[in-house]
Amino acid sequence: MNKYTTFSKVQNNALTEPMFFGNPVNVARYDQQKFEIFEKLIEKQLSFFWRPEEVDVSRDRVDFQDLPEHEQHIFISNLKYQTLLDSIQGRSPNVALLPLVSLPELETWIETWSFSETIHSRSYTHIIRNLFTNPSEVFDDIVSNEEILKRADDIAGYYDDLITATQFYQLHGEGEYTHADGRVEQITQREIKRKLFLCMNSVNALEAIRFYVSFACSFAFAERDLLEGNAKIIKLIARDEALHLNATQHIINLWRDGVDDPEMAEIAKECEQEAIDIFMRAAQQEKEWAEYLFKDGSMIGLNKDILCQYVEYIANVRMQAIGFKAPFDTKSNPIPWINNWLVSDNVQVAPQESEISSYLVGQINADLDADDLEDFEL
Amino acid sequence: MAKMVINGVSFTAESSRTLLENLEHQGIQTEYQCRDGHCGACQCQLNSGSVQYRKAPLAYVRQGQVLTCCAIATSDVDLTIAEAKLPLKLTG
Repeated sequence: MNKYTTFSKVQNNALTEPMFFGNPVNVARYDQQKFEIFEKLIEKQLSFFWRPEEVDVSRDRVDFQDLPEHEQHIFISNLKYQTLLDSIQGRSPNVALLPLVSLPELETWIETWSFSETIHSRSYTHIIRNLFTNPSEVFDDIVSNEEILKRADDIAGYYDDLITATQFYQLHGEGEYTHADGRVEQITQREIKRKLFLCMNSVNALEAIRFYVSFACSFAFAERDLLEGNAKIIKLIARDEALHLNATQHIINLWRDGVDDPEMAEIAKECEQEAIDIFMRAAQQEKEWAEYLFKDGSMIGLNKDILCQYVEYIANVRMQAIGFKAPFDTKSNPIPWINNWLVSDNVQVAPQESEISSYLVGQINADLDADDLEDFEL
Repeated sequence: MAKMVINGVSFTAESSRTLLENLEHQGIQTEYQCRDGHCGACQCQLNSGSVQYRKAPLAYVRQGQVLTCCAIATSDVDLTIAEAKLPLKLTG
């Protein structure tokens, strides 16, 4: 069964399906889950809901105009890169993963995840509209700036490869696919699983390393009390990204540990080096990006070398989180102040505001102990 | 009160505090981010001892590993945190 259907009439038990490549999801039910983590992530993500308009960025314009030119370059290039990342993430998980998913909780997580990325995209517009009279000059450069495009290719490539193969497979089944350039590729289900594994690693590297390098730049300005509205928004984005990262780490770990699809466990082993290479390439590209950011000069608190050390440091932490060895020597965090910006709960606001993650609207405690009914008599 | 050992150096831990809070109380710098159990940045090796979580962590915690930001020691615990920076008062 390889054709996608929006409502499969196969009476299937989602508790016995693999995460991907099983029966398509039919009934969207969340009372039971094969992997409870995705349901919890959905709840957490919903409790994090925020809108960019809640954050006042009006002071940022003055701060931005007062920055020396090379710092303006750092700030705006960073913002362009963040816009690119979220443009990709706001659609790709849906397009690439939804046709393959087999668990209702994972399907909804993917949609929730992608939706939150669209909020991030909207907030970049909110920021850029405030800084520039003509936002088009910033947005238009994203698709023509070579430094940005270099990395876009690498990120989008894995998604596109998976999407094309899936589309072919779901229309024609296994067979030979002739690419536009004449290259012939053998499409099998196992091959698509391999593409999915590599794609998930590429997404993981994006969320684990690439995003954090950009966060470091945004927060470095705010550490100097500059562009604080922007940093407030990035702080909310970072909080969401930690969840997205958690999810991709879970998916990869579930495959690797063999608790999901046994074939995916084999593929994870087979493609281990390729997955490591994806991370190493992402780290290398981020270092090159750091070079581009600081080409005209450093800023107080952050320069090319420090940012490169941070790339190595964060790559070590993230690679260990999915069971790889730490590839770099950098042992300690060169910018420990970033952690203050990444703490999930220290946003001091009234609890009814959406920013406190522990405040879940409509949450009830359903735990009942026999002792609670001790004094109860009929 | 329980004994906490980190990279072979021991101190007394307060049972009302999380492992991370205890580490910070001793001036030990370790990695953390969300302090909410979902980012997994504070994950480290639990060599011996038992812990309880204040709330179930969302991060993927491997066998023999522990999240310091939301775990409380329920016995003496021995941790390995490779990148930890210990203050002179503990290392001598």
